[in-house]
Amino acid sequence: MARVLCAGLFVAAAALPLLTGNTYYLYVASSVGLLTIVTAGLNVLVGFTGQISLGHAGFYAIGAYAAGVTSVRLGLSPWLGVPLAILVAAAVGAVVAGAALRVTGPYLAMVTIAFGIIVEGILVEWVAVTGGPGGIFNIPKPPLGQAYWIILAVAALSLILVANLRRSAWGRALLAVKGSDVAAESLGLSAYYVRIVAFTVSAGFAGAAGGLFAHLNGYISPDSFGLQASILFLLALLFGGEGRVAGPLLGSVVLTVLPEFLTALTDYRLILYGSLLMVSIYWLPQGLVGALAPRRGEETGRGGAGERGSRGEEAQGRACAERQVEPQRDPAGRREEQGSRGAGERGRDEAQRPRGPEAQGTGETLLTVEGASLAFGGVAALADVSLEIPVSGIRAVIGPNGAGKTTLLNALSGFYAPDTGSIRLNGTPVAGRPPYTIARLGVSRTFQTAQVFGELTVLENVAVGVAGPRLGSVLAALAGAPWTRRADEAIRRQALSLLDAGGLAEWAARPADALPAGLRRRLEIVRALATAPRLLLLDEPAAGLSPAEIAELDAYLIRLKTTGGPSVVLVEHHMDLVMAVSEHITVLDYGRVIASGTPDAVRANPAVIEAYLGAAA
Amino acid sequence: MYGLVALGYHITWVTSRTMNFSQGHAVMAGAVVAFAFYVGLGWPLWATVIVTLVILALLGVGLERVAVRPFFRAGSAAWLLSTIACGIIAENVAMLTFGKDARAFPSALTQKPILVGGAGFYAQELLIPVVGLLLMGGVQLFYHRTAYGKQLKAVAYNPEAAGLMGIHIPRAVMFAFGLSALLAGIAGILLAPILNVAATMGSIIGLKAFAVAIIGGLTSAPGIVVAGVGYGLVESFVAGYFSTGAREIVGFALVILVLIVRPWGLLGTRPPRRV
Repeated sequence: MARVLCAGLFVAAAALPLLTGNTYYLYVASSVGLLTIVTAGLNVLVGFTGQISLGHAGFYAIGAYAAGVTSVRLGLSPWLGVPLAILVAAAVGAVVAGAALRVTGPYLAMVTIAFGIIVEGILVEWVAVTGGPGGIFNIPKPPLGQAYWIILAVAALSLILVANLRRSAWGRALLAVKGSDVAAESLGLSAYYVRIVAFTVSAGFAGAAGGLFAHLNGYISPDSFGLQASILFLLALLFGGEGRVAGPLLGSVVLTVLPEFLTALTDYRLILYGSLLMVSIYWLPQGLVGALAPRRGEETGRGGAGERGSRGEEAQGRACAERQVEPQRDPAGRREEQGSRGAGERGRDEAQRPRGPEAQGTGETLLTVEGASLAFGGVAALADVSLEIPVSGIRAVIGPNGAGKTTLLNALSGFYAPDTGSIRLNGTPVAGRPPYTIARLGVSRTFQTAQVFGELTVLENVAVGVAGPRLGSVLAALAGAPWTRRADEAIRRQALSLLDAGGLAEWAARPADALPAGLRRRLEIVRALATAPRLLLLDEPAAGLSPAEIAELDAYLIRLKTTGGPSVVLVEHHMDLVMAVSEHITVLDYGRVIASGTPDAVRANPAVIEAYLGAAA
Repeated sequence: MYGLVALGYHITWVTSRTMNFSQGHAVMAGAVVAFAFYVGLGWPLWATVIVTLVILALLGVGLERVAVRPFFRAGSAAWLLSTIACGIIAENVAMLTFGKDARAFPSALTQKPILVGGAGFYAQELLIPVVGLLLMGGVQLFYHRTAYGKQLKAVAYNPEAAGLMGIHIPRAVMFAFGLSALLAGIAGILLAPILNVAATMGSIIGLKAFAVAIIGGLTSAPGIVVAGVGYGLVESFVAGYFSTGAREIVGFALVILVLIVRPWGLLGTRPPRRV
């Protein structure tokens, strides 16, 4: 139904030049198309990775001037100019992103503003190429009707490409980085790299729109590409609904058409934009599309375990365009869920088998820490810690609050670099390597406060772990290439079998945000296991769990151990759990190892008793 | 000379990890208000300064209420957009009331330039770094030596704990925004004679000040003032030897360079990664 509606909308839009010869209407409609292209691309950056750019007018300008220079100065065909516009804008985007994305959030926003202003400055100053303040004239112009059709087709294509991207491993990686860059890195994704790709893609879209704009207008000048234009782009996206595939379209329509009705108020345009921006921030956090579509989280309820049946309804509540471009998802999802258990088991066995041949057998050492020390200011969080972790089994790390347990995990997983000492994984020094590198070497972890990717479904969360850094080509993901889809199917199947093994299969299609706290922790563990690690680091997995849930966790960890799962380092306060599952316990206090041995030996150790009870026994 | 404006970013950042992204527009507001009283109504300079600073502080407080407080708790970056929204609204209002043209702001200190190595300076331009240094000293003293300053820093470090210790957080953040806007007012009055007063002067000032804040380190007041003076000197020489267009490009290149080498700024402290 929704698909028919969208297709009908497209046909109606395509028929516009046949119905009216009014150039004004066609021009406005073309402008809607251009804005849709820019915002669809911007959505990849802002909506998917959560980074804000206020400099995309700069890429729009680069696209426009690339096309203008190609056809006017070099005398080449416009059919060459627009692709060139995309390439140049994307190339500049990649370079700018490399520098600018060393920072995020407010820093990035300001750096992109600076970029936009620099581009504007260059347009004015570099007269030989850009024509200076006067701009470039006499750019070849197709008849308006044709130009409109081309723009409409590109706009529709943009929305489809972005929808393809959203469904791919890349799309999940982008949203994972937005949800928790820390957790994404622990699964082997470099947040920096993923953001650079998003930035580059969005710059390419802006370049395409700019190139088309040059040929629609026939004339370009620096005035069209100021900070105001960047704000307009962002506003259209936020107003329409960031992160939603249909958001850019709706935002573009409103933001282009509304000012045309209010031409008498040109002087008040900034006030209008500012007010709309405030309105969308205050009252439309999910944009128009979000406000019109039923809320995902609420409809599915927050955590009632008995609501299995609502999965289908939840899927039905998706916005029009999302459904239009994702026809396969729902049937596929259901098929997977009902899929044969046998295939699932196979997938899981594959996933849980340790990777290297050297990891087989017990008694060997997987990870060695020697004399690691780490101080924050004057406080020694780790002081000369040495320990060895075997290739299998569960080793617990316990100690009073502030003993350095989490710091140790952070050092092992690469989030902190020890000041001195070494950490070796299978003989490879890993101290100070970035988290995603260590994750790719087979170290996976969970976090003290469960870090799930809230905007992804439970299944997709695990799929991020399954895919890890193997995302394939972003261009293939945009195009929805068949091999990308096939790979994606396999990833989803494997993710589902992992969920099944972890007892979360019934939640697969829910947004991870909707999971109750206990299940979030379990999802985190399943997701960490999805990377097929050799070493799994669990940071207080039992914190906040009910006694029944702790018992389940207990059984789960033991099952993991007996079915040839990875070596586990467990940081935990629940002593019953620690004593029940671990073969070896290391006790930290004030950053030092004060005891190490079997559970019984540690329990009897006077130093441990003193550390916990504060008095000599 | 942008250090003065950049201090405004520092003050709110240190307190609340938020900023007025339209700090430049606040400078513009300071210049426009001062122009209205000093030139428009013919008030004496001292009265103009007082009234301007009071108005600006109130604007800052109002901004915090409208654009920052609703989002501070949520931990979202919406304050970034909402302060920009307020900025462009302010620019439009100024354009409607003040007009689109730039106007000269008379000052005794911009009569004759002092030449240093090919680049010209006005006495007014020398006054700005001096005031900047004084204010920086004041801000440093305030944050490191007074109880209330320390409370503000505590808010930034951990709002919940600070709240439990009896610090009135909304008031602390509001105070920071008022102070920040007041500094912008001072900057507006000082810059008005050099730059001429215009409704559109805000964006570029705010942007360069932010560049300075990044270069110096958002968490370091001395870093910001040093970076501000350095940035101003580099700009003057580039503009003197090459062109005014090259000035922006060099400035941006500097920011990129700093971001690559030290993303937390020359004198800023590296934020600990929270895992």
